[in-house]
Amino acid sequence: MAEKTNTDAGAKRFAFPRWANYFLPLAVLAVLGGALYAPTFVYFGFSPKTTWANYAPQQPVPYSHALHAGQLGIDCRYCHSTVEKAAYAAIPPTQTCMNCHTNIKYESPKLAVVRASYQTGEPVKWKKIHALADYAYFNHSAHVNKGVGCYSCHGRIDQMEVVQQVKPLSMGWCLECHRNPELNLRPLDKITVMDWKSDDQQKQGLELKKQYGIRDVAYMTSCYTCHR
Amino acid sequence: MPSMNDTKNETKRGYWRSLDELAQSSRVAELVDQEFPGYDPEHMVGTSRRDFVKFAGAGLALAGLATVGGCRRWPEEEIVPFTSAPSETIPGRALSYATVYELGGVGHGLLATAYDGRPTKVEGNPNHPFAVTVAGKIGSATQFAQATVLDMYDPDRSRVIINRTTAKPEAGTWAEFVEVASEKLAKAAAPVILSEAMSGPTVAALKKELLAAYPKLEWVEYEPISHDAQTEAGKLLTGAAVREIYDLSVADVVVLLDADLFSAANPGHVRYQADWAARRKVEGKEAVERGISRVYMAESTYSVTGSNADERLPIKPSRVDAIARGIAVGVGVSGVSAPDGLSAMEKAFVENAVADLKKAGKNAVVAAGSHLNPATVAVAMAINAALGASSGGAVKVVALPDGARPSHSAAIVKLAEQLNAGSVDVLLIVGGNPAFDAPVDVKFEEAIKKVGFSAHLSLYDNETSVACKWHVNRAHYLESWTDARALDGTVSIGQPIILPLFDGKSPAEFLAAMAGDKLAKVTGEALVRQANGLGDDKAWRKVLHDGVIPGTAYAAATVKVGGEIPQPAPMGTTAFELRFLPDSKMYDGRFANNGWLNELPDAMTKIVWDNALLLSKKDSETLGVTTGSVVKVTVGTGLAALIQDVAVYVMPGQPNGSAAVALGYGRRVSGKLGVGQGFPTYNLRGSTGWHVVGADIRSIGESYQIVTTQEHHLIDWSAKMAISQRIGDKGVTGKIARETTFVDFKADEHSANKKSHGKMSLQLFDPPNTFNTPHAWGMAIDMNACTGCMACVTACQAENNIPVVGKSEAYNHRIMQWIRIDRYFKHDPVNDADVQMPDTIHMPMLCLHCENAPCEQVCPVAATVHDTEGLNTMIYNRCIGTRYCSNNCPYKVRRFNYLDYQSKDPRGGKWPWLDLPDTQQMASVDKIKQMVFNPQVSVRMRGVMEKCTYCVQRIKAKTIPARNHKEEVLADGTVKWGNVVDGDIITACQQVCPTQALVFGDLNDAESQVSKLRRSPRSYDVLEELNTRPRSKHMAKVRNPVAGAVAEAKAPTAHG
Repeated sequence: MAEKTNTDAGAKRFAFPRWANYFLPLAVLAVLGGALYAPTFVYFGFSPKTTWANYAPQQPVPYSHALHAGQLGIDCRYCHSTVEKAAYAAIPPTQTCMNCHTNIKYESPKLAVVRASYQTGEPVKWKKIHALADYAYFNHSAHVNKGVGCYSCHGRIDQMEVVQQVKPLSMGWCLECHRNPELNLRPLDKITVMDWKSDDQQKQGLELKKQYGIRDVAYMTSCYTCHR
Repeated sequence: MPSMNDTKNETKRGYWRSLDELAQSSRVAELVDQEFPGYDPEHMVGTSRRDFVKFAGAGLALAGLATVGGCRRWPEEEIVPFTSAPSETIPGRALSYATVYELGGVGHGLLATAYDGRPTKVEGNPNHPFAVTVAGKIGSATQFAQATVLDMYDPDRSRVIINRTTAKPEAGTWAEFVEVASEKLAKAAAPVILSEAMSGPTVAALKKELLAAYPKLEWVEYEPISHDAQTEAGKLLTGAAVREIYDLSVADVVVLLDADLFSAANPGHVRYQADWAARRKVEGKEAVERGISRVYMAESTYSVTGSNADERLPIKPSRVDAIARGIAVGVGVSGVSAPDGLSAMEKAFVENAVADLKKAGKNAVVAAGSHLNPATVAVAMAINAALGASSGGAVKVVALPDGARPSHSAAIVKLAEQLNAGSVDVLLIVGGNPAFDAPVDVKFEEAIKKVGFSAHLSLYDNETSVACKWHVNRAHYLESWTDARALDGTVSIGQPIILPLFDGKSPAEFLAAMAGDKLAKVTGEALVRQANGLGDDKAWRKVLHDGVIPGTAYAAATVKVGGEIPQPAPMGTTAFELRFLPDSKMYDGRFANNGWLNELPDAMTKIVWDNALLLSKKDSETLGVTTGSVVKVTVGTGLAALIQDVAVYVMPGQPNGSAAVALGYGRRVSGKLGVGQGFPTYNLRGSTGWHVVGADIRSIGESYQIVTTQEHHLIDWSAKMAISQRIGDKGVTGKIARETTFVDFKADEHSANKKSHGKMSLQLFDPPNTFNTPHAWGMAIDMNACTGCMACVTACQAENNIPVVGKSEAYNHRIMQWIRIDRYFKHDPVNDADVQMPDTIHMPMLCLHCENAPCEQVCPVAATVHDTEGLNTMIYNRCIGTRYCSNNCPYKVRRFNYLDYQSKDPRGGKWPWLDLPDTQQMASVDKIKQMVFNPQVSVRMRGVMEKCTYCVQRIKAKTIPARNHKEEVLADGTVKWGNVVDGDIITACQQVCPTQALVFGDLNDAESQVSKLRRSPRSYDVLEELNTRPRSKHMAKVRNPVAGAVAEAKAPTAHG
């Protein structure tokens, strides 16, 4: 059988030195501290401030969704064109802005950054607002093709001068809907309509769930549905 | 029933992994007893365990403060869109482009996958004739080609042009270099361009142009791993350079004379393995009626190909010629005389091969290794011609256009003479690394230094660059326009996937600049288009899409037989014959700084991070050495003797008297990983004795730590006793790795499983859930197709962001690869005590996704649970690192991140506890290395368990778009949504498997390929008695020895 390679068999027995006795009061303090720490951690750790709900950073361009999506009524997909095809709802290239702004408000000082980007080829660096943890894989196309509207996660974007995160985007919040998708389903032609409301969401939602072939709760809450 | 201590009974054990295990040395006993051998925590970490606990406590307290004070979760991120998006680009969606990678003058057709313009994965091009495995759908690539993507993001890659003419090396500019070099070239009396082998039409055109522009220019081509023997043999037989290409898909009999066709270094690697597997299929009545092919191998080491042969003869390299001539005489080749002195074993081998070859006629292949004497290779060619195989049979012969070229070894010797004589005044070296890999006796490094003006175009600032006056950083092939010819001459275009990261130049751009002003401003794209005559835009785009230009294969040629084939010069009588092998990971040394390849276990030895001298068991005993002993190898005598110390690896199946050693290690100038790794065996390779040389080997009484993965995951003695009882002798099918012979299989298709079915007497748990909605994912792993080539391991590493751990961590059994190829040997202890004739079985092992998974039952935090489709999911963000799951896994397929292996400093830097985990991890991974990550897979951090996921990201990448697609809207308004079909989802390992030994699919679909394979009578569950109900089933191997049933083939002499 195995040879013993460990040679510490003959080492002296270890005895705690006298000063180790002072650890007893320290241990008591540590336990008390722990008892205080746990609720503090939960209170702050799970507060909306930590999950960054209402996060609304200053963007490099004072772009107003309230004006474009709200007043002018431009469809979300005009700019976020990949939302039905890909995981990301792409932020539009500068070109998309200039499609209109070569003719409209070309001189506006608010557009200086966009014009500069168009001329130099240097992209505009937008601040990311809706950020999930890197181990969560969200797919826009899987949601908007199955009747989850923009509003459900992003709120009334059409009323926001500055975009802010309105939902916590926490796992618990994702699961609420993955367990009961019928509460957030709408007809496919109403995906981008911000103020759509069903007469009977529960009933219509269940019908739509069947029509869209949405999987059962077990599948929808499997870990690999979102994590890889 | 033997007692637990009855180790004598163990000699009867069928399978073993290393000779140490077979002999039950104390070293192995130690491995079994210790979970992490050699692991000394006090020594390994800078702080003691006690200190660590103190610091950890402090760290937690600080992290707590940060949480309360900062109220932050992640750092601010930016979204940077295009200013004007190119068509087809969708952020975060992968795009694949056809391209080509050239290794040793042969192009490998590839598909490179890029995310947002960032290549992350390289696979075979299904349109390329030498990469396709499933027509139009799947292409395979060697581990070399796959790992090149890591080279591309190597932080140690050369980033600037270096001028060494000044007192201190300084950075130069491209314009500066072109000006200086052109001037020197114009005035040169005897300029030379030394180039690595490049087959593409672009370089050929530029070569022509340069030779016209500078009439005094000489063009020399050199490759350290050369396949010139065949070219020379062609010249010997027919007076023209030819190349034989084998079609193993029609070959009934394959006789290999030391020809390692399945080696990754063989340019036909993918094609040969795919074709071999196609001719070994036993599915269906027709296939069984037709029978499977039989492979003979006479070889001087134990190669991957040899391990898959049905009849294997271990011989010294010098005996191969005799075997070749024996077979030639047997099949009636004229101009060859019968060899004398064939031993009984050799005679039996020759007689069997001759009988089978005669029967097979046109459908036979005889291949000789490219390290052999051209005369021997000519004999093999003559046999093919005599059988009619090379005229419309299983052997295709093509004429090579560069036939006039002297052989690589002759060329480099002549050039060195010229350099030493001072007759060369300008030397431009395009690629390669001759200062490292030229024959050691010509002292090429010193010779370069004697030249007035020398420049080296290279990916790395290496040995040759340092010896040259200038170094020009080369563009990686994924950054440049290239072209290359496949084995049969078919041209492929290589397109850049990304702009040069460090502004490097491709060989074509470099040569064009040297050719003069008129081309200096021409782009690589224009050069390639022009050389290939693809002016038409439509044709150009089609070629770029397909990756190949049809109709560009070399012209067919014929081999004439008739004249006398000369005898090769006899080997001197030395104790050993030393054979040089291309390394299965380093090739010729160019991949020295590539972590994926360094850590890829060799297919046969399972060595990582090193090379070693392979000796037979008997020879090692005679020398008094064992695995890990350092020996002094001496080639030649007196002052000219070449001497190098090398560590020994005792290799089962290695012929007595034959020593083999891989080239490519022991780099002197390379990146962080490459320098000093392994043994510089080029020091033994002189200009005579280029492939095989007589050598003297002596023990010097020192030892060296070789790390192999073959003894990882050993289980304890009591369990092993149980295994030994269940497996039995060589020739009897085992329980874990099952096999049968074709004769037995024909008689009873259940022969592999008949006696092996496990018995499950106790059912501990309720029958598990069915896990089949909406799909039931599963896999079939065919050991009859697996050759053990290791391509899947690199594929998995690239696809799943698997870290490299380094040699010392590998020693601690912490290697992270999710898939491993278990290689078991099996031999007859009575008649083959020297272990010359072991049988080998290669068994891919990865997470089998057990329905009744033992790992799930012990996880305290439910971090590993089943999803509804049968995937055993591993949730990193939930894992707290107890490692219970790994303990309870009977297949040992789980891997734990002991350290932050992806970071620059896996031990976490000086004050790791001051950073929050997220920022710490992001900052600690090299910015350039980050670019190789697959964005669809989480990068795991310290303290997390991981394992095979069945490539869940690939499943989602197909199922989500399929479900989004409205296939049909019925009259009543109901929608029929799309769904994936069989073959849509291909895991990374299946994708690159040349033989499609791994097949993934939906078990709900009874007609899917995987369902059909799993219904095969060869199919079985590994360790079925544990009732784990694996979703991956293995399939038994079918051997085809002459003796029919393996059970009869006991002694080596009994083969006749």
